[in-house]
Amino acid sequence: MNKTLLSVLAAAALSLATTAARAERTLVLSTYGFNNAIFKKHVYDPFETQCGCKIVLETGNAAARLSKLEARKDNPNVDLVQITDFLAGEASAKGLLQPIDFGKLRHLDEIHAFGRDPLGNKEAVAYTLYSVGLVVRTDKPSAKVASWKDLWSPELKGHLMLANITGNQGLAQLFMVDRVFGGNTPDKAAGFARLAEIKGHTVTYYTQSAQMTAMYAQDEAWVAPVGRFSWLNLKKTGKPLAWVVPQEGQVGMMNTVSIIKGSKNVDLAHQLIDFWLSAAVQKALADELADSPINRTVVPKPEVQDDLTWGKAQIDSLVFMNTAEVLRERGNWVKAWNQMVAK
Amino acid sequence: MTHGSRPPGIAWWLLTPALLFVGAFFLLPVLALLAGAFHVDGVPGLSRFTEFFAEPLHRQVYGRTLRLAGLATLVSAVVCYPAAMALVRVAPPWRGLLTGLVILPLMVSPIARTYAWIVLLGRNGVVNAGLQGAGVVDAPVGLLFTEGAVFVGLLQLMMPLMLVSLVSALENLPRDVLDAASTLGANRFQTFFRVVLPLTQEGLIVGGTLVFTGCVTAYITPAILGGPKVLMLETLLYQKVNVAGDLPAASVIAVLLLLTTVAVNQGLRRIAR
Repeated sequence: MNKTLLSVLAAAALSLATTAARAERTLVLSTYGFNNAIFKKHVYDPFETQCGCKIVLETGNAAARLSKLEARKDNPNVDLVQITDFLAGEASAKGLLQPIDFGKLRHLDEIHAFGRDPLGNKEAVAYTLYSVGLVVRTDKPSAKVASWKDLWSPELKGHLMLANITGNQGLAQLFMVDRVFGGNTPDKAAGFARLAEIKGHTVTYYTQSAQMTAMYAQDEAWVAPVGRFSWLNLKKTGKPLAWVVPQEGQVGMMNTVSIIKGSKNVDLAHQLIDFWLSAAVQKALADELADSPINRTVVPKPEVQDDLTWGKAQIDSLVFMNTAEVLRERGNWVKAWNQMVAK
Repeated sequence: MTHGSRPPGIAWWLLTPALLFVGAFFLLPVLALLAGAFHVDGVPGLSRFTEFFAEPLHRQVYGRTLRLAGLATLVSAVVCYPAAMALVRVAPPWRGLLTGLVILPLMVSPIARTYAWIVLLGRNGVVNAGLQGAGVVDAPVGLLFTEGAVFVGLLQLMMPLMLVSLVSALENLPRDVLDAASTLGANRFQTFFRVVLPLTQEGLIVGGTLVFTGCVTAYITPAILGGPKVLMLETLLYQKVNVAGDLPAASVIAVLLLLTTVAVNQGLRRIAR
């Protein structure tokens, strides 16, 4: 091969490589890994076209993703993380996050006030929410359930299902039970004492949504505290079930998005957050049942409204846990819980 | 080694890839784990273990794990010996088919198998219907989320391993020793305990180790059939890692799992001797 041709080829390759590098900025998002096809269609693909960049996902369960972020703290390879609010608090406490410039989020005012700055230090913004309420069989004594306190009804013995403390619904249930029975200590002693009373009534403490749904499908469970995102699957069991908003309220849970400290794509990260919060994206995700909208202006299509955490009845009923307390006490709660269950 | 003519150098070269793989991806991580469990703030010590066992729940969970795994090993040995002896007497083409049937459950996803137990053991399940039909109980009884449910699930999961180990041991047993034993006046029990058992003990050790290790390290079965009410070491380990983020306790559990299975294997060998 002659020299000129070789140098021309080399130059061409070099210029290609540099343009590719300029065009191919990548934004790495650490996220759950559910409904990826829907997010790709309504968020990742349109955003990639808009920003001329590439979105790379890092998926997995929250605990594993959090430990990875911690391991790479000094040399982060992730730009954004989507995680439950109190785990965002944990990431924040470990110094993994940086403040979000709220001035760059045009859609921030459109989202529910409680979701705008859940940590109180501008390091997280909620992008979706869900409620934890009660699902009851309407053809059994459980039909009368209208309050969290009704879970203590002897008629439910053997058909009461509770959420295990290891899941978010379990935390929500402990928080709510403690609250309705007047508990006021961080160790949730009142809640634990009450839950211990109905241990013998409890068929099981579920750890996964699929398992919870199976228990209703098998007629084992008549009532349980449930995350709203499972409601559609529960309806598909064909059992006579109803969603009950207890008179004391439902627990509101949020998933939040944060920017990782040391990210080299802070501008793109802000753009993606803002894009995600926009009414158009929030509606598309709600219509496909991927996530309930945190954006107040969104009206999902009628046929999915009942399957989401949406509407006045749902939103007005929400009570939120103190994320700092959850973070601080969760280890102790798990310990106390295991002891209560094992006794 | 009967083929000792080759220079040992080649054997080492041939072993190198496998050794490197096992060393880098198994031995080193395991050693790091062991080291972590026996170090507290950089100082060697056993305080992680004493702390772990100071908790009554942990003792209870460890005891339950040993009890269920031991029982499953024992029951599978008792059930599988007659089955294996029958199996090796079957003519070869049928033996292959029957062995295939025995192994079949191993090919079904453990999740599907375990969910099937939920259907069977549920309040409206076959077992409860049978018990009520036979008049044993008046109303459905709670069978799920008990130690019994976990035991049955584990037994079903692990029994094929015992059976296959025993079958291969019995296949190597010279057929004439049984005739010889009976010619010399041994009855069936004497033949079994004094001839068959000693000659096939290697299969029993292998099968016993596999079943016990499998029971102790099973996660899906205790998680689904037992749940939080019937915590075992594996489900506790999951909690420690994924919920509590308590890695020191998790490494203690991992070491316990390892030491327990090694100890049981050694124990079985000692009994066999």
